[in-house]
This record gives sequence, structure tokens and C-alpha cells, in this order.
Amino acid sequence: MATQPSDYTEFPPEIILKPLALIGLSGLDAVNNAVHKEIWDAFSNNRRADRTPVRFKLLNNTFEFPVVKPKRNSYEWYIPKGVLKKNWIHKRVALIPAVVVIFYDMDWNDPQWNEKIIECASKVQSIRAAVEGHSTRVAVVVIQSRLSPPPSEYMLGAERAQALCAACEIQSKSLFVLPHSDHLMGYILRLENAFYDIAQNHYHHETKNIKQHRDHLNKTTHQYLFVRHQFKLGYLNELKQDLSTAHKHYMHAYNNLLESRIVDTNTHEVRTVAGYINYKLCKLLFALNLPRDAIAQLKSHIERYKNRIGSTELLFEHYAWIARQYSAFGELFDEAIRAGLPAIQSQHPGFYYQHAAQFTVKRRQAMRSVCTDATQYPPPPDPLEGIVEFYGQRPWRPGRLSADPHDPQKEQAAVMALQHNERVFNHSSMIISFLGCAISQFKTFHSPRMRKQLVVEMANEYFYSADYGKALTLLTHMLWDYRREKWWFVASHVLNRALQCAYLSAKIQDYVQLSIEALSKYIQVPNNDKDRIFTNIMSVLNLKIPAAEPDLPLSSQQKALDLWQSAIDKEPLLVPVDMANIASFLEVKLKFKQPRYRMDEIIEIELYVRLSYNTILEVKQCFIAISSHTETIEIPITENGSSLITLEGGKVKRFLCQFKPNPRDSGTDLHIKNVSFVLDSDCKRKIVMNFKIDENKVSESTIHPELLHFIRSPKTDYEFDCIVPLTVASVTSRECKLSLLVNNSSPALQGEWFPSTFTITNNEESPVYNVKITLSLLSSPDNPNPDSVTELSLKEREPQTQPLKLNVGSIHTTESYSNMFYLKTNRTATTTVQIKVSYIIDLPEISKLECTKDFTTKITVIKPFEVATSFVDINFQPISKCFVDDPFIVMPQIKILSPWDLLIVDTDLEVVDCFRHSDAKKPISCIRNLEVAEKNVASDAVCIQAKHKPRDNPTRVGLYNITWRRKTSTSHCVMSSTALADLPIDDCPIAIKVNYPEVVELLTSVPLKCTLFGKCATPIRLSVTVEGTDAYMFSGYKKLSVTVPPKGRVELCYNIHPLVAGNTTPPRLKATVIGGGVSQELISEMFEKIFPQNIFVMPKYNK
Amino acid sequence: MAVCVAVIGKDNSPLYIGGVGNDTSSDNELSRQWLVHTALDALEERLATTNTNNTGTNSNAARTDLRDLYLGLLYSTDTHKIYGYVTNTRIKLVLVTSSTSPSGSNIRDAEVRTALRRLHALYADAICNPFHLPGDQITSPKFDKQVKNIMLNNV
Repeated sequence: MATQPSDYTEFPPEIILKPLALIGLSGLDAVNNAVHKEIWDAFSNNRRADRTPVRFKLLNNTFEFPVVKPKRNSYEWYIPKGVLKKNWIHKRVALIPAVVVIFYDMDWNDPQWNEKIIECASKVQSIRAAVEGHSTRVAVVVIQSRLSPPPSEYMLGAERAQALCAACEIQSKSLFVLPHSDHLMGYILRLENAFYDIAQNHYHHETKNIKQHRDHLNKTTHQYLFVRHQFKLGYLNELKQDLSTAHKHYMHAYNNLLESRIVDTNTHEVRTVAGYINYKLCKLLFALNLPRDAIAQLKSHIERYKNRIGSTELLFEHYAWIARQYSAFGELFDEAIRAGLPAIQSQHPGFYYQHAAQFTVKRRQAMRSVCTDATQYPPPPDPLEGIVEFYGQRPWRPGRLSADPHDPQKEQAAVMALQHNERVFNHSSMIISFLGCAISQFKTFHSPRMRKQLVVEMANEYFYSADYGKALTLLTHMLWDYRREKWWFVASHVLNRALQCAYLSAKIQDYVQLSIEALSKYIQVPNNDKDRIFTNIMSVLNLKIPAAEPDLPLSSQQKALDLWQSAIDKEPLLVPVDMANIASFLEVKLKFKQPRYRMDEIIEIELYVRLSYNTILEVKQCFIAISSHTETIEIPITENGSSLITLEGGKVKRFLCQFKPNPRDSGTDLHIKNVSFVLDSDCKRKIVMNFKIDENKVSESTIHPELLHFIRSPKTDYEFDCIVPLTVASVTSRECKLSLLVNNSSPALQGEWFPSTFTITNNEESPVYNVKITLSLLSSPDNPNPDSVTELSLKEREPQTQPLKLNVGSIHTTESYSNMFYLKTNRTATTTVQIKVSYIIDLPEISKLECTKDFTTKITVIKPFEVATSFVDINFQPISKCFVDDPFIVMPQIKILSPWDLLIVDTDLEVVDCFRHSDAKKPISCIRNLEVAEKNVASDAVCIQAKHKPRDNPTRVGLYNITWRRKTSTSHCVMSSTALADLPIDDCPIAIKVNYPEVVELLTSVPLKCTLFGKCATPIRLSVTVEGTDAYMFSGYKKLSVTVPPKGRVELCYNIHPLVAGNTTPPRLKATVIGGGVSQELISEMFEKIFPQNIFVMPKYNK
Repeated sequence: MAVCVAVIGKDNSPLYIGGVGNDTSSDNELSRQWLVHTALDALEERLATTNTNNTGTNSNAARTDLRDLYLGLLYSTDTHKIYGYVTNTRIKLVLVTSSTSPSGSNIRDAEVRTALRRLHALYADAICNPFHLPGDQITSPKFDKQVKNIMLNNV
């Protein structure tokens, strides 16, 4: 909870305390008895909100209950002396328990049962005697040490409990048994609830009693009693935790109080009590979750009592009271929010704290107007001494109700005493703490600007209470925000107050900085007296005490002078002022003349300075700090060769600053970091005005030059407003004047060592030396990781590690250097070669300047040729599979793609394992030494046969190696290998060999012999038929069945006799498998393939 | 009716603050500025909540563009009532009425709305002046006169 400042208006603790039913525990020896202590701790410790709303009080033997007042039979002659008695609540919450519980150690089967029951009964009797007159209930708790009585003793227990009730004269429901065992806490919680029920009964009974009085009262004399009784009812209902009934009764009390007549003598009492009742009302409304009603209640409460001022001599009391109403409400509101009530920006406790602060300010004003005479406390007897019985009554006239002061002299002294107390009261600290509470609330509820205003008010309060240091700290923080939002009027107010604080606390750093800002054109100063402020700055610079600020409190002026006296020639002698974040009388714009500088150029920075305050300012030194990635340099600004710069008010001055770039900064950015102006009058003290350049800020410049066309700006201003600052410039290396020429016969062919000649020519005006050339391959999107497939070398056929480095040495002017590199790549894509040349040159301005230049050359790589394969059988018929031991021909076809003529030096087919060349000796390639040009196709033919059927069909027949070179080149040959396509291999159980002539003569018989070879381990039976044709006659079996023995052979011989000339189809044999085991299809296919489709028959000429 | 009218830029800097009445002392000027400045809290909060509502109901995105420029009563103190209006370019117009004077306390919402609309029109006219630099304070005497007229005419 926010701590609230205290004064006499503070609510007494019993009002603030949440009412809880009071339960007295007697017979517990918490000091000596461990069991009792444990029980007491279980009751009293850890009373969280979820436990029963009761308060326990340990009653020892000496405890005395308040004496009961004699019962009044009639109110006829009774005139109340006040509204609420001070001790009534205290009695209810601390002295008169609703229930007294007597604890007694006793087991049902105790051997001394009879003695114990008597002792217990006497204890009950003594307590009952002590509470005589109060309607306090009595209950008994028997503490039993046995864990649980044996079942046989149930009856005994019931019997004895009854006996105990009878002996103590209590009802059986007021007797409790507390077994002292493991589950103590559980028993305690249940007991609590039982006690709470009894307590509620008690309070209910009490309310009934009070209600009975009402009939005896009359409105003329007993108005106060109406209030008092309703308040009591409300409080008792609160003890009962019946909040809505309590609220109803408090509301009656409040309304009854409103009806009572108010005169000067009872104003204080009535409003004090009204405040308490209102507090109770609001608290209950928050507890009943009716925050809007609570707010409305407070508003109407204030409205009603706003004008009940009472005597004007004590006006401050009225304001103090209002402030307290607000602050107490704020506290209640805050508590409710912490308990889960949602609050919004327009309705939260901060406003009430703020009001409290405002009324405390009014209280102070009232004090100033009425307490001027109360310079001394009145002489004894002290009129404020004395005990008052009622809330809000005056100690010097307790219990008096009549309107006229009965002792004017005493009254006078008392007023004097109150006024004197008020005079010495520290209002500022109270206001500050109220504001502190309000500030934290406004911060929570998204009101930063409201918060700022309150902080400024708080700072003002610190100022009034002469705590200038704190005020200054607060003000400088707030100044920042107002400046940022450009609320210059408010900022001026804050700044002037801060300047006063800085002067009064003689803080040189702050004083100088604030003074400089005060000279800004945006800031208004009192009496428009900027000259005085400028003179003050100069005084501080010259180690002289500055003139006082206007409107300072007289009491602090001498002290300020003393402070200045001791501080003026001490540290800080160097006063740095961060100008970039404050508004000031100097404006600075910086600009690199170009956004980019080459290494051999001079860098120029333009500095524009505008002095907006009308004076002449002599700056002793001025420098620009520039940083690169290696260093930060400071470059002094000079005017006419002197470092002393004179600035004139209202004018813009332009300075040019030139320097050479550092060779190490090549390729990086230069940033302007800072501009500093040093004010120095040779008196040890220096004021350094730093303009730190923040690059982010520069870019979001709000000035749009295109909008400034119509704005009149004096020409001498260099159009200051239009200048767009440029604080970053990049330094690039000097332009290189070397040229590169690459000469080659592109495109290159895949796989060849491709030569390129490059020539570097020196076009510089002076010789270059230490020339180094680095060759490397560049990766590109269509050719990533070129290093993996491409070789680069300076020598043919000798791959070298990349990058290739060459130390060339010197090249004289106009001379050139040339060399050759070779490139070999297996990827058909464009290869990019980078040639990086670095050298050192001596220039007139800069010697040993290192220059580099990157050249790139692109080389296209293409395939020299493409190889396609076809498979044909011995008859040159295309085939799609082959049989074991059945020869066939592989025909690779080489299609030339190269634009250059090529020479095929040799070709070679390397077959895989399951094939072999059909010829015993590998034949010489038929396209050997063949010259080919673009788009030619060279066909090769190689006869091979399958050796056996492999388990898996091979993926290729073999590798076809072509050795080739460019026709023009003589140096080396390239061997390119191509995998030839695959051909399935099949196994046939028989092989067939047919002898027949290619050409026969008409009408001439020729033999046709067909041999069948058995290939497998079992004999094969075939039924062979001859399919005759009209073109032939033939002799031999037309149909027969043969058995081909395993690994054996069968010969079938026929004679055929052609009848017609021309291309003829000879008779063909067909075979059908008899029995199983062999595939008919395979046999048919074999026969189909092996027998000739046609034979040419020559006509016969008769000579 | 109005005791003070303010035009505040989109960066929350004051472009124009005008007040009527016999109070020309700097204390009154200061309290007027505080009042307008703290009203920005409520304005910003109001804008932030309408923005979040807009994103929540993005199905009606087109309709939310037509949000009412007049924000209504921002908040009221014991002495003043503060009304807000935000243009589409985030220029904030603030109108303050006094709740202590009879004309100010009984003012109707529609009157304030009309007054702020007229102020918006005047503002638009004022910044059409080619010699005015957007973002600078409005110093035009004509604008000042017309604004004071709005404030008084509605009495």
C-alpha cells in the first residue's frame, strides 16, 4: 500500500481495520504448555483471507472485561454529549469477545474424572461471572490426548459429555472435543467455523438490543443518537460479515448526521464523523463490487460538505479534511484494484491522490492567510491537552453542545495553538507524498503526460521546500520530454524553474547547460531578459559568480551566494554540454561535399553554423570528429588561418574542412561523429558544446526542401534550412588504369586443355611495381562450385591448385605483360575466370598507393560431340536383345557438335564382363584417323557376343572411348568415354546354325543344312516342320520329331530348288517343343531369327 | 462556449493553442497548455483502442476507414470538459469548455461536433497557404481570428 502522509486528519486505526468477530480463548497456557502453544498457533497464525473472518484473543487469568454501564430505562432526560464514542469500536474489536472459549484438558476415561469435572465447571462459572452483563457466549473445548477412545467407551464418552454439560450449565452444542492428534489443523478449522456461528448469533442478539432503543428516541434532542445507533448497527453487521445490511445502516447513519444542525462548535465533530461513515460506506461498496456507487458516494459526500467550512480562523482544517477524504478514497480504490477491480484511464485512484494534493495546496494557502499571527504557541495551560470521549470533539470544550463559546479566552488560545501547529506543519512533504502516489497511478494507467505534469508540480513543491537538488533532477528529466514534443511554452516554464534550482544549488554543469538552452529562440524567459542569461554564462566562464535569477525566494538567496562563492573556481572546470539533445542558440549542419571519395581525392566537409541569439560569440576552438573503422580523428576548423572563430548573431557562417584520406580506410565509410565548440576565456574554465551526430536522427529530418520554396530565407543564410546534412561518405580505392586483353578461341570443348592468352597493359602515367596477378574461378548461378570440375593451370596438362598466383614485378608505362593459362572442365557451362591485378604505384600526391583491379573473362564450354548407339544383328537388322553366344553388332554413332574441325584419332569399345568381342583379335577401329566437321556423323561398328547370361542385366554394354583432338592442334589428344546403352541378354536351350548361300541360281539345287546344338543338361524333343513356299521345291523330311541330346547335336539336311528369280523367301523350319521344360516362345523366336528371310535367286542364262 | 481550442500535429507538437476570455497572463496560458497536453493521453489511448478494434474486425477493414473523426468527450475535470477530434492525417483538434460557466456546462455534443468540424475546415484552409511550412506553428492572424469567432459564436 502506498504510504499516506500522516497528520491529525488521519483515520484512527479502528476505523480502517476490517471488523472481525472477536473470540476469546481462555485456559490455554501458550507459554508453558507445548500442546496449548501448538493449538494457539494453529488458531492465530496464517490467518489468510480464505479462513473464517474471526479474530482470536488469548485471555489470561488476569484479563478484565469492561465494566457494564447501567442499563438505561428511559432516554427522556438523556442528552447525548457527542456523536460517536471513541472507545466503542475498540471495545468490540479488542475487549468484549463474542464468544469466550474455555479450553480444558480432560479425557473421558480420566481416573480423576470427578475432580476434573468440578474444576472445569468452576472455571466456566468464573468466566461467566466475569462477562456478567455482556451477552458474550461461553463454549467449552475439551482437549483430549487419546487418539481415539476404544469402541467400548463410546457410551462412556456420551454419558460423561452430558454430565459435563450439566455441570457447566452449557448446551451440548457449546461443548467441543479437540483430540490432539495428527489432524490438528483440520479440527481447528472446524472449531473456527463453529465459533464463528456462535459469534454471529451473539452479534445478531446485540443488534436486536440496539434496535429496541430506537422507540425511546425523539428527533429534537436525540439526533446524535440516531446516528450513533445506526453506526453501531452497521458495525455489528460488519462484524457479522453481513455487508449489505451494514451498508444500509451506515447509510441511515450518514443521512441522519446530515440532518443534524451544524454550528461552528460542532462542525469539526460532524465532518469528522461524516468522514468516517463515508469511509465505511465506500469501503463496503468496493467490497460489494459496486465501484461506481462508491465513486458517486464520495462525490456527493464532498459536494455536501464542501461548503460547511466552519470558522474561518480554522479554514485550513476544512481543506485538510477534504484532502484526507480524497486520499483515503484513493487508498480504498487502490486496494480494490489490487483485489481485482479493473480500472481505466479516466477513472483510477490517481485522480483522488491528485485532488488530495490540490486540497493540501489550498490548505497551505489558507494557512498563509489566517495563521500569520500565530507565531508562538500559547502559554500553558496547553489548551489542546485533555482527553476527549467522542470523535472529532475539541479537547478544550469536551461534550459541550451549545453553540456559544463558553470561555472566549480559552477558545482564543486553542485557536492560536491550532494555527501555530499548522504553521509548523510541513505541507510540502505531504503534497509531495500525495503527488508521489498519484504519479505512480497515472503511470500505471497510461497517462504519461498527466504524470509529467504532476512530476513538475512535485518539483515545484521541492522547490518551495528548498530541496533544490531534487527539484532540479525531476525538472531536467521532464524538460527532455516536453522538448521532444515541442511544447515550448511548457518547456520554458520547466526550464526557468530548473534554472532557478540550478542557480540556488550552484550546480555549474546544470546551470551552464540550462542557460545555454534558455538562449534558444524557442524558450521564453521571464522579462525576455536573455542578455542577462548570456552574461551569466560568460561570468561562469570567467570564474565570476553569475547574477541571480529573478523571483527567487529571499530566504535562499544568501545561501546560494555562499554556495557559488565556494564552487565558482572549483571543478568542473571543463563543462561539456551535449547540444544535440537540447534546443540552443547554435545550430549546426554538416555536409560531406560528395557522398563518395576516391583514395586520391581530398575529402571536404562543409560546416554551417547559425547563431540564432543576437550576440557575438567567440569560439576559441572548433573541431570535427570523424571516425572510420580504424580510427577517430579530430580536425580543427580554422577561420583565416586562426583557430579563433567569431560567430555573429542571426547569421550563418560556412567553414570548409579538408583532409586527405588514410590509405587504410579504402573501401569503408567515414562518419562525422561530433562537432565541438570550445568557449574559453583563459580562466581555466572551458565550456565545450558538443553536437553529437546521430545518423538515425539525420535521416528522419523533417525539412523537405521542396516545401521551402516560398519561405523567405536571407541569401547570406546559405539557405541554411534547405541544407540536407550528409554525415556519411564512403572512400573507394583509386581508379585503376590498367587494361586487360584476353585472347582465345572460344568456345572451349569439354575435356580439352583450353588455352587463353591474357595481356595486361599499363596505362598509368608512371610505372607500376610489385604487380601480382591472381587467377581464380568464380562461381555463378549456372555454374556453382566450379573448382570441383574445372582445372586451371599455367601449364598444359598439369593441374595446379587454385588460385593461381603470379608475381610479375614491374611494368613500365605503356608496356604490357602477357601470359597464358589453360582451362579444363568437364561441365558444359560458362566458366568465369577472375583475374585480379594488384600493384603499387607512386603518385605525385600519394606514394606507395596500393591499387587493385578485378577483371573477369567468361569462357563458354560445349560438348565436342554426342554418341548414340544402335544394336543390329549379323544381318544388320535392329535387335532389342541378344542371345548367349549369338554374335551381334554394336554401332556407335558420333555426332559432331564442335564448331571446330576435329580429328578422331582412335576409338575403342571396352565391353563389360559378360560380353566379348566375337573376333579373336580386337579389330582396328573403322573410323580411325577420321577428320570430321560440325554436324558430321561418324559411325563405328564392333561385333561382340554375350558370354553368358549374367544374374542381373548389365546397365551398359561397355565404355566407348574416343580419342580425339582439334584438327588445328597438334599437341595433345583428349580421350572422351561414353557409356553405351544396355542390351538384354537371353539364354536359349538350343543353338541353331544354318548353312545357306546368300545367292543361288534359278533351278539349281542347293543344300541347306541346319544343325541344332543342345545347350542344356537335358535332351530336348522337338517336332520340326518345314514351311514350304511356292518359290522353292525342297527335299527332306517335311515333318519329323527330333531329340537334341544334351551337349550334342542333330543335323537336318535339305535340298532346296528355287523356282523363281528375284528376292525370295526360302522354306523355313519351325519347331514345336514336345513335352515341357523349355519355353516354346524362345524356341520359336530362335528359329524365326536364324532362318533367312530372303535369298536372292539369280536367273539362269542360257548361253 | 469554448474557452480554449488547440491544434496539435501528428508528432504531438502544438501547432496552435488559442484561448478566449480575459486571462492573458502566463499562468493561465500555462494551465491551458497543461490541460491540452494532458488531454493527449486520453486522445492517444482512444486512438490506440480504435486501432486494435480495427485489426480485430478486419473483415470490415474498408468500413473502419470511415471512422468518425470526432472522438467526443475525452475527459472532464471539475472545471473543464475536453473534447477531441482527429483528422485522417493524425492532426488532433482539442476543444475545452468550462463547466463552471452556464454556457459551457450545458453544451450539447452536436454543437461541439459542429464547432470541431468547422475548426477542421479552417485548419485545412490555413495550411493551404503556400507560405506556411507544414509542421510549423500556425501564426496566421486570420486563422486566429476565425478560431476565436468559433469559440465565441457558440456562446
